[in-house]
Amino acid sequence: MNSTRPSTFTQYRTLLAKDIRREFRTREMLTAMGIYAVLMLVVFGAALATTVAAFDILQMSGGLIWALIVFTSLLGLTRSFSYEKEEGALEALLLAPLDRSVIFLSKASSNLLFLAVVELIALPLFYFFFLTGSGLAPTFWMTLGPLIVGTVGIAGIGTLLATITMGTRGKDVLLAVLFIPLIFPLLYACVCATTVALLGSEMIMDTYVPSMALAIGYDVVMILVSWLLYDFVVSV
Amino acid sequence: MMTPETDAENRSFATDLPVVEVHKLSKSFGARTALDNVSFSLPEGAFLSIFGPNGAGKTTLLRVISTLERPSSGAVRVFDLDLKEQPEAIREHIGFVSHRSLLYPDLTAEENLEFTARLYGMSDPARCATHMLATVELTARRHDLVRSFSRGMTQRLAIARALICDPHLVFLDEPYSGLDPHAVEILDELLATIRQRRSFIMVSHDLQKGFELSTHVLMLAKGRKELFAERSELAFESFANQYHAAVGMEVA
Repeated sequence: MNSTRPSTFTQYRTLLAKDIRREFRTREMLTAMGIYAVLMLVVFGAALATTVAAFDILQMSGGLIWALIVFTSLLGLTRSFSYEKEEGALEALLLAPLDRSVIFLSKASSNLLFLAVVELIALPLFYFFFLTGSGLAPTFWMTLGPLIVGTVGIAGIGTLLATITMGTRGKDVLLAVLFIPLIFPLLYACVCATTVALLGSEMIMDTYVPSMALAIGYDVVMILVSWLLYDFVVSV
Repeated sequence: MMTPETDAENRSFATDLPVVEVHKLSKSFGARTALDNVSFSLPEGAFLSIFGPNGAGKTTLLRVISTLERPSSGAVRVFDLDLKEQPEAIREHIGFVSHRSLLYPDLTAEENLEFTARLYGMSDPARCATHMLATVELTARRHDLVRSFSRGMTQRLAIARALICDPHLVFLDEPYSGLDPHAVEILDELLATIRQRRSFIMVSHDLQKGFELSTHVLMLAKGRKELFAERSELAFESFANQYHAAVGMEVA
């Protein structure tokens, strides 16, 4: 049987398909993240139960949405490499003739996909629990921008950090300690952009555009750095 | 211009060039020296068994030669390719069997093999998987999750995974670890059938079995080479005595 060196895209597709097949068979990450997101909504509901009448919840929604996304993604990221380590399958990937940045791209893509699936479930629930009857602004659709850019950044930066921490004893805590400070500029920009899009004032673009520029710039730089560092990080 | 990949493809694997050449190799992890100035050369078709007590550096040596670890100093050439310069070209022609399976427990046997075949660019991954499943006598369990396999079956599948890319050099890191006697028999038969055209480097704690299988033996202690010789030059008893002397034990 002959072999020819497969293209980078073929290897990327093979790795991604493996992650998707495994996840949709076990539903390990999706179930954990989904349940966690719903529980966070319940906690938000309890926390806001007495303040809702006096306070415009729209003002807080941007922050709450991103708290939901960040903590849910942390849970998924810590699990994204656990099955690669279980029987040493990651070593088999490192022994294969492939550029190690392909492992990063495929793992970041699968993390992005799983986080997006959870957001597709959790965010409509958030709307249903907290925003129905709030009178959404016509700029509501603009929340899609920070949601996409923020989720891409979280998946990219989180994949690098999950790789760094996967072999450590206190990986759950260490990942959170590294992840939240590192994504803070992205998180801040996304919270601002999401909040102004939900509120929809006349001056929306004065905040939305610079916030999105910061978020996109931060994504590009950090994902590029992660991609370049990955060979070193995964080999250590 | 010839790329490292085509260079490796065009390389004859039946030349007089050593399949592995290790020159003054050292590897340290922080202040701890795992390998200290190790040198040896292995001819094509050889079966090298590496012996030594725990912490002697056997697995580290295997991991360095197989490109999983970078050497701290010294030079390693595999198929006459430089380990530091052309690791990807080397990886195309090696297989690795560990005491861990390196498989995905939540994928089926067939899915695991097809996945590996695709990564290595095999022309027909499904056919490759079918062929290898038949070789390790797991065709009947092809659709079962690896998680449901016994230790022996998992190890057979791990060997199929390692051989699916038709490697010229196979690394075996304690492949008999945790196997029952029947599984050991099956693994022995399997190794006998796959020895043609291939070279092997095996780490083993089983002196008798490692010695029987080998054409060359390497003994390590505290990261240093204590002995490297062709097996034909050694009698098992004298080898065992040397081994026990090196690890500071008395022969029973």
